[in-house]
Amino acid sequence: MRPPAEAIGALALIVTAIAFVIFLGVEAALLYSAWRFRASRVPGLAPQITGNRTLEIVWTGIPLLILVVVFVLMTGTMREIGTSVAGGSTPAQMKVLAVGAQWWWEYRYPTSGGDVIVANELHIPVNTPVDVDLETADVVHSFWVPEISGKTDMIPGKTNHLRLYAAHTGTYSGQCAEFCGVEHAWMRITVVADAQGDFDRWLQAQARPRGDASAGAQGEKVFMSNLCVSCHAIRGTDAKGEAGPDLTHVGGRTTLGAGVLTNTPQNMRAWLADPQKYKPGSLMPRVPLSDADLDALVTYLEGLK
Amino acid sequence: MSATTVPTTTTAPTLWVRRPAGAKWAGWLRTVDHKEIGVLYMGMALLFFVFGGLTALTIRVQLAVPENHLVDPAIYDQIFTIHGVTMIFLVAIPVLVGFMNYMVPLMIGARDVAFPRLNALSFWLSFLGGLLVYFSFIAGGGPDAGWFAYPPLSGHTYSTGQGLDYYILGLAVNGAGTIVGAVNIAVTILLMRCPGMSISRLPLFVWMTLVTSFLILAAYPALSAALVMLFVDRHLGAHFFDANAGGDPLIWQHAFWFFGHPEVYIVILPAFGMISEVIPVFSGKPIFGYRFVAASSVAIGFLSMSVWAHHMFAVGMSDAENLFFSGASMLIAVPTGVKVLNWTATMIGGRLRFTTSMLWATGFIATFVMGGLTGVSLAIVPIDWFVTDSYYVVAHMHYVLFGGVVFGVFAGLYYWFPKMTGRLLSERLGKWHFWLTFVGFHMTFLPQHWLGIEGMARRMWTYPASTGWGTLNMLSSIGAGVMTIGTLIFVWNLLVSLRSGQLAGDDPWDAFTLEWTTSSPPVPENYLTVPVATSRRPLWDRKHPDMKDPS
Amino acid sequence: MTAAQARPAGRLSHAPLLGMALFIASESIFFMTIVVAFIALRPAGLATAKQELEFTKTLIFSLFLFASSGTMTIAERRRDRDGWVWLVVTGILGLVFLTGQGLEYVRLLSTGISPAAGMFGTTFFTLTGLHGLHVLVGLAAITGLTIASLARRGRVTAVGWETVAWYWHFVDGVWVVVFSVVYIGTLIG
Repeated sequence: MRPPAEAIGALALIVTAIAFVIFLGVEAALLYSAWRFRASRVPGLAPQITGNRTLEIVWTGIPLLILVVVFVLMTGTMREIGTSVAGGSTPAQMKVLAVGAQWWWEYRYPTSGGDVIVANELHIPVNTPVDVDLETADVVHSFWVPEISGKTDMIPGKTNHLRLYAAHTGTYSGQCAEFCGVEHAWMRITVVADAQGDFDRWLQAQARPRGDASAGAQGEKVFMSNLCVSCHAIRGTDAKGEAGPDLTHVGGRTTLGAGVLTNTPQNMRAWLADPQKYKPGSLMPRVPLSDADLDALVTYLEGLK
Repeated sequence: MSATTVPTTTTAPTLWVRRPAGAKWAGWLRTVDHKEIGVLYMGMALLFFVFGGLTALTIRVQLAVPENHLVDPAIYDQIFTIHGVTMIFLVAIPVLVGFMNYMVPLMIGARDVAFPRLNALSFWLSFLGGLLVYFSFIAGGGPDAGWFAYPPLSGHTYSTGQGLDYYILGLAVNGAGTIVGAVNIAVTILLMRCPGMSISRLPLFVWMTLVTSFLILAAYPALSAALVMLFVDRHLGAHFFDANAGGDPLIWQHAFWFFGHPEVYIVILPAFGMISEVIPVFSGKPIFGYRFVAASSVAIGFLSMSVWAHHMFAVGMSDAENLFFSGASMLIAVPTGVKVLNWTATMIGGRLRFTTSMLWATGFIATFVMGGLTGVSLAIVPIDWFVTDSYYVVAHMHYVLFGGVVFGVFAGLYYWFPKMTGRLLSERLGKWHFWLTFVGFHMTFLPQHWLGIEGMARRMWTYPASTGWGTLNMLSSIGAGVMTIGTLIFVWNLLVSLRSGQLAGDDPWDAFTLEWTTSSPPVPENYLTVPVATSRRPLWDRKHPDMKDPS
Repeated sequence: MTAAQARPAGRLSHAPLLGMALFIASESIFFMTIVVAFIALRPAGLATAKQELEFTKTLIFSLFLFASSGTMTIAERRRDRDGWVWLVVTGILGLVFLTGQGLEYVRLLSTGISPAAGMFGTTFFTLTGLHGLHVLVGLAAITGLTIASLARRGRVTAVGWETVAWYWHFVDGVWVVVFSVVYIGTLIG
């Protein structure tokens, strides 16, 4: 099986080729007439031709035929990649729930031990068809990772489905595609395709509550005694907020703020000091913290791998 | 020559229409004359075009470089929302309705529209609607949920300001004006044609205007209904679009696009009509396949009512729905293609005079064909899943709305301006205007196709530098700058030519249709005696009595 | 030229009537949109509808509105004589209908059913409210026609009368649809 984006690409190539021929034909006719029939080259009146019925029928019929062919090709592609509803010809080997929220993503992996919740970074096994259920916590969002999928909207009160398939390991970027408010732009999607073994290990690690935090004990205190705790959850602690991303393993993620900064200790510090500077309008407020508290918090969060 | 010849204007004419001296400004407020109301509509469009253009420029400045913090995102959202609302409702529609108002009665040999006072009401409602939308900025912030204002984002939970309320109110009032205006124009065309002006002799601009009027009547009420539902949701706490209470936000999307897609044809058909007037005149021969050009408009009209959900392929409709709307949307390419081919065939074998008007018309075909073809790609469901809501759509939409409607309107304006004012627009400035706009346009919007394919979603206030989208965006922004220079030249041309443009005379283009038989600008009731349409090209018949138009 | 000179025939060759016909067609799409929304959201409000709507009472008030279409026709026929009296009767019948609607609203609101209270309230008040507003506009038109016909006796044309009548019949016809969808629909379940 090839990735949906590749199947769509193949179809698009055919359509583009046809379109290009038509495009060239029309442009050529225009340029030719502009050169051949300009007034200075045509003495006297132009012949008063009013039309040609046969020609009309031909150029109504041929496009119609082309479109019928394109339509048939399209249904083939739709069968292959699976529509957003039907799920495709190859059964999915994995299911994930993706929930869009202003302006970040939550992913839930159903396992025998309950849902494993992660945020902003979706991992999938390579060469595996993955069905993503799409839901929203607030407004309409749209899930789109151009290299490995088409896009499907997240509509309140409805669960949509999207097929992901990555043929190579690596990181794929995407973007919320439906305007969803102030920080629509910084609702970036990160999908990491891992080898199956790596993926399994990753998922197991994500399923665990936060590990040994003795190095960050001071930071955990800062976290628990400030606004942080009211919106974020860190499993294994008293932080159970649901409004913002789960931070149990935030230190292991590649980006911060749904893609606005790469995850380094310096960036983490800058982000915590003033999220509004990097993501104006984000629902994460600026929490006034002393330098010492900030440092402790950065150590703590970066330690949550 | 015929008995209906009117005296040629020899002295400098009064602007727009011959009106009694003294009654200057107050006259514009009271007027019920179709020509003056037409001019009012065009003035309204020009006024709002300034705002629409400035917002577009702001967008391009903001996006010129990645991770730009020049414009605050909350402001940016208001800017692109008002840009869309302005260009669609307060520029495209008014300028086209303005031309319809001015030209249709002239072209069918009528003295005025069927209901002149209602006509004035239509204009003032449309204008008031526009003012209401803009009043939001004074009242504390413009609408910021995009021009199609999807709930729940546009609902009271996520849009707490009053911007959306002014959007609702403004568009409802503006829409009422547009609906009443469409009734008026349709009745005028159906009942007020001069002797000989049968349906099969109607100038094609009038034909397309008729189809557009019917489309307005069919489409706008769905918008009004959607606005009412959004209003009761926002103000009476109702739940139409509230999924938590059993409502469904998709109802808005269906209702909005039931209006929104025909709207595209509502604005493009009159532009088609202008092209269909301009090309034959400057090709020196009749339109190729008159009946097919006219009939394809009717086909487009009907089909356009059944394609709306191609804006919604990504919302998770059933296969059957997707296939239906895909098929219908593809079908609409056929009558549209017929038009493009007929215009091209009109030029082939003609005697082409590349006036500014003709340049715009040719540029229209060259550009529109591309917007049409990318439109077909968007009708194909899997491709749409890939590129919908991306910059590819932004590019496509501007190819049809700018490369189509705006180019068409400029073709029409350079063509009819002498009829409306008695003076020609400067051809020299006009050609600068055309070439700068043409080059700037393609520079702005061609790169956006690639940006969309590479993953740039529309309505992003900025984008990560790591995406590598900076170069194409910069190119696009420079293009916008080039277009701006073109537009400034146009405004200069307009001002200079109004004052001291070359006197046009009645028929500066050696044209075919009735409006060129009366004076420029026309006398108060258009014709001194009732004109007679001897064929589709009555003026040609007069000039070439030995080879009359056979229609 | 003559055969192809196709113009709308019959009554539609009168500009006001053709205009009104087009306007009514447009208004129909407005109501159609709201009715479709009502039907799409009906399941969520059906239980409340079954519990709260008073079918018989509304049917009786509806008969007043239906009857008013009849009196309107009579008024038109007798426009040169005592048509204005029949216009007044038509207006009164319309007012009675509106009063019925008002009573229904008051009753529902007093039991806590409002546009905000749930899906039934949302759809019911919006659809019937919009219809009610159109009845009001119709009443205003009838009032205007009555005054004009008295002030300029015999000089308001037949077309003028007919234009107002068409609108009134339309408002009446919309109620047939609304009543069917809202009340009969609820009755059937």
